[in-house]
Amino acid sequence: MIAGIAQFQEMMWAVNTVAGVALLLLLAVRRNYRVYPAFTFYIFVNVAVAISLFFVYRLWGFSSTVSWRIGWATQGVTVCARAWAVIEICRRFLSRYPGIWALAQRVLLADAGVVLLYSGVAVRHEWNLALPTVDRALELAIAAVIVILFLFARYYGLRPERTDRSLALGLCLYSCFRVLNDTISDRYLHDYATVWNLLGMLAFFASLVLWTWALRRSQREAAEEEDLLPLGVYQSFAPQINRRLQLLNDQANKIFRSEVTRH
Amino acid sequence: MSLTLVLFFGSVAILLFGLGWALSKPRKRKNLESDPGRLEQQDLRHTDYLPQIRQALAAADCDFLSKKASRGTQRRVRRERLNVALAYLDALRVDFDNLLRMARAIAVLSPEVVVGHEFERLRLTAEFAFRCQMIRWKLLTGMTPLAQLSGLSDLVSGLSVRLEQAMKELGERAAIAAELASSRNRRGMGTV
Repeated sequence: MIAGIAQFQEMMWAVNTVAGVALLLLLAVRRNYRVYPAFTFYIFVNVAVAISLFFVYRLWGFSSTVSWRIGWATQGVTVCARAWAVIEICRRFLSRYPGIWALAQRVLLADAGVVLLYSGVAVRHEWNLALPTVDRALELAIAAVIVILFLFARYYGLRPERTDRSLALGLCLYSCFRVLNDTISDRYLHDYATVWNLLGMLAFFASLVLWTWALRRSQREAAEEEDLLPLGVYQSFAPQINRRLQLLNDQANKIFRSEVTRH
Repeated sequence: MSLTLVLFFGSVAILLFGLGWALSKPRKRKNLESDPGRLEQQDLRHTDYLPQIRQALAAADCDFLSKKASRGTQRRVRRERLNVALAYLDALRVDFDNLLRMARAIAVLSPEVVVGHEFERLRLTAEFAFRCQMIRWKLLTGMTPLAQLSGLSDLVSGLSVRLEQAMKELGERAAIAAELASSRNRRGMGTV
């Protein structure tokens, strides 16, 4: 059984590397690397890491300490590259609207901070689990940032480009999967190691397919800023609406409270 | 099952739910984008039907019916009045949403926004939605007299009148906002 899984894992490794190279080629041929430089870098890092780990495992073996250290170090680089790609997607979603974009930056940063803090508090503090813990925290923060980004876009009625949506979706789903995988492997570390790697590869392959489909055509550069209103419009209008909404809510609250008292 | 497992699986479940909701298509309503001039031009809003709705929900009518009509007729009238009340609640919600949509369009097209204003509006929207929902449930379960709804109508009516004044004061600038929201929509990059 384990031998079969290991064989399948090796095959998936090769498939993912080929799919990654194919996506890189597609990014180059369609010149989409100019539109998505951070995302291209992230895919490049993934391919480079896969190839380098192949040689590392051949040299030192899969279970050696050296391989373990190199493996986690490259994972750190990969997560940072993914975070950069996510920032790029966020910018493409919202940077046309400078007011909202400035607000979103603060909200998303705060969101990432809170999630990292939460991830730090919600775990057992053991040194041997430190790296998976940090990895999981970063993945959860990435997933949370993308979800908040989508919620933000929905709240303000913005319609991001289809490709940006697909890229963000792939990044988010893969990060969610890694959080689950890290959590399970944290609990059943030794028994789960082989399956953990395999499931991770399958999830990444699914994301690669989604991204390849999304990037099958050339994309245009981010649009120019929208024609903006004079600042005074917002400054005079927003507080007025809010005051009226507050009044409405206060009175609705009175109705609600009076009913509660009556019943 | 360990606490860590529950916390992280729960977090991912919440994230996936949020993602699914954010990606789902919003309910179709007649909105600002479909008719950008609507907010400035609409002289007849749902709240303008308040007197008729009030008449339909008046307690005096119930008293009269209880003396003159059969039980079956009373039940039918009560059911129809409930439907009117629910439809009216929906209509008020649409008016409310249109106001919010206008505010959001302005925020989106503004070079700067104030964090406090945006969060306050988010909170107020959530509160209004919650209270509307509570009133709806109470109406459906018969815990709220239909006449109670007229209180809410007064509020929205008052809001609309005052907002209309504000819109007139802002006049041209608000029209520019609506026009810009509409042009973004026509270019296929704008609001949903």
